[in-house]
Amino acid sequence: MSAHAPAGLARTEMVCPKTIAEACAVLAQAHRDKRAASLLAGGTDVIVDRHLMPIEKARPLDLVVDLTGVDELTAISERDVAGERHLVFGGGVTYWQLRTDRRVLAAIPMLDAMAKDVGAVQIQTRGTLAGNIATASPAADGVPALMALDGVVKLVSEGGARTVPLDQFFLAYRKTVLAAGELIAEIDVRVPLPGARVTWRKVGTRLAQAISKVALAGVIEEERGTITRARFGVASVAAVTHPLGGVRALAEGKTFKALDRATVDAAIDLEIKPIDDVRSTGAYRLHVAKALVWRALAP
Amino acid sequence: MIRFKVNGTVRETDAPPMARLLDVLRVPLGLTGTKEGCGEGECGACSVMLDGVPVNSCLVAVGQCEGREVVTVEGLAHGAELTPLQRAFIEDGGAQCGICTPGMLVAAEALLRRNTSPTDDDVRDAIAGNLCRCTGYQRIVDSIQAAAAAVRAKTSKASKASKAGGETGA
Repeated sequence: MSAHAPAGLARTEMVCPKTIAEACAVLAQAHRDKRAASLLAGGTDVIVDRHLMPIEKARPLDLVVDLTGVDELTAISERDVAGERHLVFGGGVTYWQLRTDRRVLAAIPMLDAMAKDVGAVQIQTRGTLAGNIATASPAADGVPALMALDGVVKLVSEGGARTVPLDQFFLAYRKTVLAAGELIAEIDVRVPLPGARVTWRKVGTRLAQAISKVALAGVIEEERGTITRARFGVASVAAVTHPLGGVRALAEGKTFKALDRATVDAAIDLEIKPIDDVRSTGAYRLHVAKALVWRALAP
Repeated sequence: MIRFKVNGTVRETDAPPMARLLDVLRVPLGLTGTKEGCGEGECGACSVMLDGVPVNSCLVAVGQCEGREVVTVEGLAHGAELTPLQRAFIEDGGAQCGICTPGMLVAAEALLRRNTSPTDDDVRDAIAGNLCRCTGYQRIVDSIQAAAAAVRAKTSKASKASKAGGETGA
C-alpha cells in the first residue's frame, strides 16, 4: 500500500448497507458496542483526513458505514407543503446531480450555479449535500444555498426521525445537533416563487477549486413592491453558516425603497464578525458580505 | 475480498476497504498510468471514471467500488489504436511533461461521452479540476476541441454511410 497510509488502516471495517434503516441499525450497534464509527459518502473530507492528518492526531476508526450504495439517499422528489412547491433531496444527492437533474435546473437554477462553484467536476460527482451539512464547515457552499431556500433536514436514527430547520442545525464551529446514531436522510427546500430574486455569489481566489472568502445565497420575494420574504445563507463570515436573521427581520414587510443601506449594514455588523485567516481578512469579508446582501435585496 | 471491474476485466483485491482506489490501482493492480498529485482532490492527476463519471481516485475508498466499474487511462485506447483524444493530445500539443495528461484524458473523455459539441467554456468546466503546470491550458482545450471535431466527423460519416446503405438496400 501507499507509503504514507495511516496506521490502523487495515483495522477499519467497512459496511455497505443498502437501505437507510440498515445503515441506522449498523450505526446504533456500533454505538452500543462503543466502536468508533464514521459515515462515508463522497470521501472528500473523511478520506483526506485519514490520509493527510498526522498519525498521532488521527481519530481511531473501527468502522466505516459506506452510504454510496443506499439508493434511497440519492432520490430527488417533489412535494406540496401548504400549497407551496418543495423539492426533497436525499442526503446522498451529489452536486453533479443538481447540475444535471432537469427538475432542479428548471425550478431552482441557483442550485446549479452553486454546484458549478463547488471544487470541480470530480468533486461534484462525489460530494453530497448531507456530507456538506454534516461536516459543518463554515465555508461550505451547499449549506448557504440550502439555508436561503428554507432548508429543513430530516435526521433518522434507529429510534425514529426528527426534522430540524437548517438555520438551527449548527451549534458552534464544526458542532451540530446531529446525535450519535443519526444520519441526514433528506433535505427539504422550498422552491422560490416565479419572479423571486434569487442570488448565488461565491467570492474566492479563482473560479474553480477555491474555498470561498465569502459566499452568499439569497431569496427575495415581493408582493406589490413589499418584500414578503428575505432569506439568506452566508458562508465564511462566522463560525457557522449564518442565516442573517436580523436582515430578514428588517426587510420583510417593507418595500426596498424604505430600506437604507446604513441600517442594513448595521444589522449585518450585529450578526457576523468575520475573522482574518489564510484566505482573506475580516474587514474585506465584512465589506463584501454587506455589498452582496445589498445587491441581493435590490430589484 | 473486494471485486470490481477495471478496464472491462473483473479484478479482485484483498486491500483494506479504506485503502484508496488510487493506491490499489497503482500497486497491486500495476496500473501506474493514474498519477498521484496532491492526494486531496485538488489536482485531478488521479482522475478515473467510476461507473462512467470522473472522480478523483485519491478520494475513493476501494471498499466503495465493490461491483462497480472503473476505467483508467489504460482503458481508453482499443489495443494499439488510440482514441481521438489521445491522438489530438499528441498532434496538437496537449501533452507535455505528462503528469497531468492521464487525468486530463479521463476528464475530457467523460465530457465527450456526454457532449460531442462542447463550447470552450464546457471544456474548461470539464477540466477545471485538472491542474497542468507546464503547457498552460490553451493547447489542452484546443486538443479536446480537435478530438470533439474528429468524433463528430466520424459519427456523421457513419450515419451517412448507414443512410446510403439503407437507400441501396431499398
